[in-house]
Amino acid sequence: MRRTSFKFAIALLGILALLAVSCGGTDSDSDSDSGGSDSEATSGSAKTIAVPADKPTIQEAVDAAKPGDLVLISEGTYNEDVDVETDNITIRGLDRNKVILDGEFKLENGIRVLDADGVVVENMTARNFTSNGFYWTGVDGYRGSYLTAYRNGDYGIYAFDAVNGQLDNSYGSGSPDAGFYIGECYPCNALIDNVVSEFNGLGYSGTNSGGDLFIVNSTFRNNRAGVVPNSGSYELCYPERETTVVGNIVHDNNSTEAPAIEVALLAQGNGILLPGGVRNLVQRNLVFNHDRTGIGLVPYPEEDASDLAPPDTEWDTPCSETHDVEVPPIPSADCKAVDGLLKGCVVFWNPYENRILDNNISTSKVADLAVGTIDLLGLGVTTDLLRNCFSGNTFTTSAPSDLQALAPCDATGNGGSWDAGALDLLGLLGSPAAAPPKDTYKTTPEPAAQPNMANAGTAKVTPAPTGPPKVDIAAIALPARPAGT
Amino acid sequence: MSFRFLGPRAQIAAVLLFSGSAILLGACATTDASTESGAKDSAQLSPLSPARHIGPQGQVGQVVTDCGYSHSAADDPIVFPGQPGMSHEHDFFGNTSTNADSTTAALLKGATTCQKQLDTAAYWAPQLRDHGQAVVPVKSVAYYRAAPGVDPKNVVPYPEGLHIIAGDMTATEPLSPDLAGWACGVSSAHDAAPPQCPNSAPLRAVMTFPDCWDGVNTDSKNHKSHMVNSFEGLCPKSHPVHVPQLTFAVAYPISGTGHDLTLASGSTYGIHADFINSWDQEGLANEIRLCLNRDVVCGLSSNRDEDPLFGPK
Repeated sequence: MRRTSFKFAIALLGILALLAVSCGGTDSDSDSDSGGSDSEATSGSAKTIAVPADKPTIQEAVDAAKPGDLVLISEGTYNEDVDVETDNITIRGLDRNKVILDGEFKLENGIRVLDADGVVVENMTARNFTSNGFYWTGVDGYRGSYLTAYRNGDYGIYAFDAVNGQLDNSYGSGSPDAGFYIGECYPCNALIDNVVSEFNGLGYSGTNSGGDLFIVNSTFRNNRAGVVPNSGSYELCYPERETTVVGNIVHDNNSTEAPAIEVALLAQGNGILLPGGVRNLVQRNLVFNHDRTGIGLVPYPEEDASDLAPPDTEWDTPCSETHDVEVPPIPSADCKAVDGLLKGCVVFWNPYENRILDNNISTSKVADLAVGTIDLLGLGVTTDLLRNCFSGNTFTTSAPSDLQALAPCDATGNGGSWDAGALDLLGLLGSPAAAPPKDTYKTTPEPAAQPNMANAGTAKVTPAPTGPPKVDIAAIALPARPAGT
Repeated sequence: MSFRFLGPRAQIAAVLLFSGSAILLGACATTDASTESGAKDSAQLSPLSPARHIGPQGQVGQVVTDCGYSHSAADDPIVFPGQPGMSHEHDFFGNTSTNADSTTAALLKGATTCQKQLDTAAYWAPQLRDHGQAVVPVKSVAYYRAAPGVDPKNVVPYPEGLHIIAGDMTATEPLSPDLAGWACGVSSAHDAAPPQCPNSAPLRAVMTFPDCWDGVNTDSKNHKSHMVNSFEGLCPKSHPVHVPQLTFAVAYPISGTGHDLTLASGSTYGIHADFINSWDQEGLANEIRLCLNRDVVCGLSSNRDEDPLFGPK
């Protein structure tokens, strides 16, 4: 257990607080709370704290670090779960493959950054945690570079309610949820660049995120499903929107061996799937070998939803403006069940206004390109009214059959039939893959050695992003097919 | 705040509770002359039903701990300490050693079913029965949050060994579902009786514990009067210490039709839960400080591990 003297301090603090509240007449409401940030007081130059030379544990080094400092970790296996609450520190391993945080399936998160802005974590491995390898929550500014996360019980690399971020040159595998996740943010102002995600339930997942959110130059392979951002009212900031997926290689996401949550079993066999996503751009991705669809735009029906799907006039509401909005239960007259299929208060999240451009999609068993919905609630919303568009894609099969001519981008469709070759959504949804044994994540393959950052021992600290990423989408070409695939 | 569910018996209980609170006021050396109106203030400040967080998660800081089902026994270390077999049948979660003889010291040494290994707290709820047969719960989920309106910076950890009860085991009429009720999955819409739930969001019992502590006692004769609910973000002077609002949910493998549900304690209106703070105390203090005081979402509970939509029934 870490911080033994801390216990006493907390006890003291508790007693003081107690006395202050119970008998103090006028509450001087800011006594103990913000005492933690001695940050601003720091003057002089940033320092490097070496682990274990200066501090025996990563946690002690992190606790001693001031904004601007570098915690530099030597080779070793560290059975620690590290909490970070100081802004603008950098935590770096000297060797990505040999600086290993190991939760031994007992600890929850490798590194957890809580409401600390601008924290950079780089060049190390986190494995065998029951929740997440690397985790940022409630932060403004974050970067994870040259990270390896594998065999973690929820997510590999996870950013929640976090903005202005970058995850690059990293690897995530063996998580039943997603290898990489960015959720509950709009605008997210975040970039996922040059990562590899494999043997997960989902390669990428992001619930209710988007807005200057870019996923580029990355590989999603051998997951149960590849890139799967989605909407839902079970978390804040719906819908998922404005995620840009460009220049990725997405293939063979059909694994029956990978760990999986139920959603992954349902999404299994799809390359890029947008359940209830709106205004996303999917461009110049190389997508091949999928048991179902290469790129699929489908609804996400939410049973016993917390809220109705917002109208398009509210899709640009910043996430920050929704935090203090009370969401009362949906009046029972405003939503209903679907006899024999969907129970309780059903809200249908449809995929709207997505642009699917210039992708190369091949060898998909159901369809290379697909869009579909079902008007189960009788709202008159059918597939042809969703305003999704498809242009410049290279593919063989689509559902509906003539999709690219029916719904081209920035042009008028040919007026053909949306019923011919329509996606059999009920059939697909009704046959999810079989669940793997419990705790399959604990035995997923060890990754090969991953590339190190340059000059980890001497490289200067590069701060985390402070604003939207600058990505030149036009400069990202369709990737070439990797050798041996 | 709604009192519409309070029956006459509950109102009597409320009066008893509040007069108890008024006595405790004496413990604090305040000199303001508010004693006359104190009882009234106190009544207003400690409603029997908690203010509850509703709507999607992610709006306020929270600590979420998932704990598997541990065991069942006719034991209740709060109501019938040292008297094994005296209680109705309970399902226990978290600490694996909980029994009628449990002491806080013993629990602190116990193992846990919780994913968060620092959570060695004892949680229990009455056994659910379907057509008279025991239903083995899937798991429990404990949410620790500042209650609505409470300044999260003011929340301090529970004292070691604090005993709390949520709900009323003797209820035979609907209580406020804000206090103790039933839901489908993580939905925050609660009913006083179990609703029919979909496979993708099966049945949960959800109980919300009071969040204002008297600052002195870790238990009380009726096991309730040392704790009350906050009102509009404030704790009454009788119970001045803001502790986390614990919402405890038990997930059952119950969905669809054809169920006949009762509790080992009787009517499903009487759903209730018990909690003993036998967390790793340093670990709990750390979570409260990092997640609640800083208003950070440190975890979520989702329906993601439930059966899929449209799936084979």
